[in-house]
Amino acid sequence: MTGGLAAGASLALPGCAYIRDDAPTDPPPPPSAKAEIDGDLVYFNWADYLAPSVVRGFQDEYGVKVVESNYDSMEGMYAKLAAGNQYDIVFPIAKWVVRLRREGKLRAIDPDELENADQVFYSGSYFNDPWYDAGSRVSVPFTVYKTGIGWRTDKVSSMTGSWQDLWNDEARGRIFTLDDQDEALAMAALLLGFDVNTAKPSELQEMKELLVSQKEYLRAYSSDDINNMVGGDAWVHHMWSGDFLYLQQGLADDPTAFDFEAPREGTPINSDTYAIPADARHPGTAMAFIDYLLRPENAIKNMGYLYYPFPVKDALPAFADLAKDVPACNVEVSDLENENVFRLLGADEVQRRAAMWTEVKAS
Amino acid sequence: MRTADAAPRSAQRTWLWGALLALPTAWMVAFFVAGMVVVVLLSFGRTTNDGFPVFATSTANYRALWNEVYLELFLRSLLYALATVVLSALIAYPVAYAIALHGGRWKNALVAAIVVPFFASYLIRMYAWKALLSDDGLVNSGLRGSGLGDGVTFLNTPWAVIGGLVYGFVVFMILPVYASLERLDVSLIEAGKDLYHGPVRTFFSVTLPATRAGLYGGVLLVFLPALGDFVSAQLLGGAGTYMVGNLVQQQFAEGQNWPLGSAMTVGMMLALTVLMVAYLRATATEARES
Repeated sequence: MTGGLAAGASLALPGCAYIRDDAPTDPPPPPSAKAEIDGDLVYFNWADYLAPSVVRGFQDEYGVKVVESNYDSMEGMYAKLAAGNQYDIVFPIAKWVVRLRREGKLRAIDPDELENADQVFYSGSYFNDPWYDAGSRVSVPFTVYKTGIGWRTDKVSSMTGSWQDLWNDEARGRIFTLDDQDEALAMAALLLGFDVNTAKPSELQEMKELLVSQKEYLRAYSSDDINNMVGGDAWVHHMWSGDFLYLQQGLADDPTAFDFEAPREGTPINSDTYAIPADARHPGTAMAFIDYLLRPENAIKNMGYLYYPFPVKDALPAFADLAKDVPACNVEVSDLENENVFRLLGADEVQRRAAMWTEVKAS
Repeated sequence: MRTADAAPRSAQRTWLWGALLALPTAWMVAFFVAGMVVVVLLSFGRTTNDGFPVFATSTANYRALWNEVYLELFLRSLLYALATVVLSALIAYPVAYAIALHGGRWKNALVAAIVVPFFASYLIRMYAWKALLSDDGLVNSGLRGSGLGDGVTFLNTPWAVIGGLVYGFVVFMILPVYASLERLDVSLIEAGKDLYHGPVRTFFSVTLPATRAGLYGGVLLVFLPALGDFVSAQLLGGAGTYMVGNLVQQQFAEGQNWPLGSAMTVGMMLALTVLMVAYLRATATEARES
């Protein structure tokens, strides 16, 4: 903190709990709750991000209500938590687990309290000690996914299995790059052989030139990948594996008209998790809910709804079957170990990356 | 006698007005002024390495605004907003005119028919446009089906963005223009027809000047939200249609730079204030002269 003024300003505006500079770093989390119902579940997730039948099943079996609210970005989720709103369960993306854990905002989750914990924390499982939560103390894995390229096989025949395909001449003017800072920068970084999290000015400069060179091939930057493909606007789309699988298996009239590749330079891998905020009022119900979601039959139902793979052991064959026509949509252990993951960066690094990305989009 | 009781009555009236104003004033101070103060203070702030915005006394955010790229975005947004205003006026006049002068007993129903769709979220309406205008969407399928060519690329163009803005805000032009047309004495138009004959000349010499106040209000109501909008460019725009609103939104989301976003907001408000004052002075002068 730069001294008195910042403190004074914070004091003068007591409502701004979010604006502060004294965040604790990696304190021990509050102890795990037991998986025992202690009230209705206050649930905070992306909209439409679990199969409704599974949520209904939990309500019926345990005789509690699931009170749902939604966020539209991780920043929004974080701001609500930081402002003191109480939720029993949230679904942070990996790097947000790092941040929430470091700030003491998550409660410990003891796998011994979960009957189905062995579905994700078995011997040799990557998730026993994932990069974002050492020792898996405060999170349980929910889904994993990768980012690649989806394309129209009826329009484009010259795909090469490289990120360079986002510069494909056949699809010129019908190519979309995800409107997502981390994803767009990662694509450029992988093409140039840099770390996906790089914030080195010289590397950012090279990436910027590369991304600007792409603009004449692009139709737009958009994260609405499914609709852009369904509507026929996109022939080649930088897209998320689960979105592709939903498009192909769930929406397309002719699934053979679409295909997906995981470029050879490497693909970003990300994970969503289950986590229980430190100030949750019903952590016991949240534990029971997580346990319920880890049951293989529920994971299978959720995968059939979301089309993202769940790292639940006995549900893996079901996903492999769902993705049998496009194995590139699956996330293997080797993918996880490559660790092309989006790490929690310092604000100066995020801002440098953001400034570059802004200039690309604005140029 | 009249002067004698004028004083207490006006005092009473002042008290009454004061009481009536207290609540809205408190509301505005608590939720509008305080919010603006935080934005202004934060525009001199910085971000801690953990990503928390904090207050400070740095002018670095304002210095960062002097960037060619940002200026270009501002000019582009200005152009889109002006195009939106012009198109909205071209749509609003015939619509408002038809309802106000020929709506008869259906007037209120027609106004409702215009307003009700705007109860649906702007975001939803933009998504609906996307479904309608995509390359294989309803409009293009219709064009192809009826043999009118190979389809048109509507989406991800500047026109789609401007179209989205017009659709989003045209109602704010229709309503004030309608209100001023409603108040217009129809005999003026009839007199105009007697004097000038043609309907076009009558419109420009009588109807337009008489409804100027509504038009001027509508221009502001459409221009301001259009200039700051980010939804239309995000959902309907292409790789080259990024607007100032997108830039600001980016700072508060992925960019993790609330202080810079605040400085952009303040800078934009200052620019808009200058434009608005110039506009109000110009329109006021014109109103006095005529």
